[in-house]
Amino acid sequence: MPARMQISASLAALMSAAAALVPEAQAQTTESDARVSYRFNDYSEDALAPGPFFGDAERYRVLSQQFELSTPVAGDRALDVTATHEIMSGSSPWYVVRGAGNRPIQVMSGATIREHRNEVRAAFTQGAGTTSSTTWNASYSIERDYRALALGVERSMPLSEALTLGVGGSFSHDRITPVDAQLFDRIEHASKNTASLFGSLAFVLDRNSVLQTGLQLNAEHGYLSDPYKLVDVGDAIVDDTRPDRRGAAAWLVRYRRAFGADSAALHLDYRYAQDSWGVVSHTLEAAWYQALPRQWRIVPSLRYYSQQQARFYAPFFLDPGAHNTFSSDYRLGTFGALSATIDARKRLGRWEFSAGVERYHAATGYAIGGSDAPVPGVVSYTRAFIGLDYLLQ
Amino acid sequence: MRASLPCPRRRAAAALIAIALIALGGCAATPVQPWERGRLARWDMRWDPDPLRAAMAAHTHFSKEGSNGEIGAAGGGCGCN
Repeated sequence: MPARMQISASLAALMSAAAALVPEAQAQTTESDARVSYRFNDYSEDALAPGPFFGDAERYRVLSQQFELSTPVAGDRALDVTATHEIMSGSSPWYVVRGAGNRPIQVMSGATIREHRNEVRAAFTQGAGTTSSTTWNASYSIERDYRALALGVERSMPLSEALTLGVGGSFSHDRITPVDAQLFDRIEHASKNTASLFGSLAFVLDRNSVLQTGLQLNAEHGYLSDPYKLVDVGDAIVDDTRPDRRGAAAWLVRYRRAFGADSAALHLDYRYAQDSWGVVSHTLEAAWYQALPRQWRIVPSLRYYSQQQARFYAPFFLDPGAHNTFSSDYRLGTFGALSATIDARKRLGRWEFSAGVERYHAATGYAIGGSDAPVPGVVSYTRAFIGLDYLLQ
Repeated sequence: MRASLPCPRRRAAAALIAIALIALGGCAATPVQPWERGRLARWDMRWDPDPLRAAMAAHTHFSKEGSNGEIGAAGGGCGCN
């Protein structure tokens, strides 16, 4: 009997500890999930250096505003609505010409007038804050020349105390109607469809760390070229012409580790991606979330990205007979990028202020294994952002 | 003696396996009970603690790089240049 009494006392102590901990965890979740948020981003690309053969050296600048309402609606149901407004201006790479000694020289578009993009996203979750949940989401994005409608569903369910399965899929229909189509002999309108499936497993490794691994599969079909880009093929300037199908797979691993009772956390993310166009990429990200006195928090992070080029990419093509798909879009070339971000946050009651900056620098030499093949137009940028959150509960 | 040439894919795979092994090292530990998960429920232990910031960063990288992919439902594209 004394032994049973001791066990009961231990159980009582454990239950007491659980009762003390669980409400705290739930409070954090509920508090963070019911909020109104605002973000302002100022994205500015470095000017092209050396300057372009033709066009404006000043590249894109995008001013973005995001508004979000995230709130429980009834029981364990939650609604999240996000609206984004972007203003874009500047010039973008148009095509590449062959200079002396086959040196590629970038041609830029003229400075554009102001373009706008508006997007609305909504996500409805059943089972929010529980271990088993289903989320339906929808988004609609509209620009003067581009519209995209996407629908998706995600399901999360526990397989054991330490293992959670996530599965989902989405479908999007995009339609493009290029501006000045007749003036520049562009396609007048075109569309593409994208289907996506994903699955993930999340492991609780110990009381301080969790690991998630997942696979995403994408299938695109339709007009996948860029109507605003041209290519030098055998000294003739022709339209950017890409395959009308693209299959892609991405494998992701995410690791989170807590340090101290509420002092710091390490985030490590890795992604391997490969597609049927021949593009292979590696992405590695590390972030450190450090809590500081007086409700301050600082989050430095680093990101490395490396990709190998698509089979049909070249700055220009000397032999037109060897290919039927061509692109000199730098985004399909071999390059790597390093970026560093610093984000500072301050909590004041129900308010949280945040501000930060990201510096992104890309170069062909940063690619894994290095590359001396020229990819004119590779972009570096600086992105500054500020944010404001109001916790509703 | 056979010289070993640097292989970018092999190096990346080795780095990835090292990360996975370090991360999975904790699997040998005893199961974590619900009352031991206070730290795992913290804001800074979420997969994306700031979803708006993460969405904008992902949108920017999606616009300027040749490949993408994430755990979760994908959105539509954009006419980004």
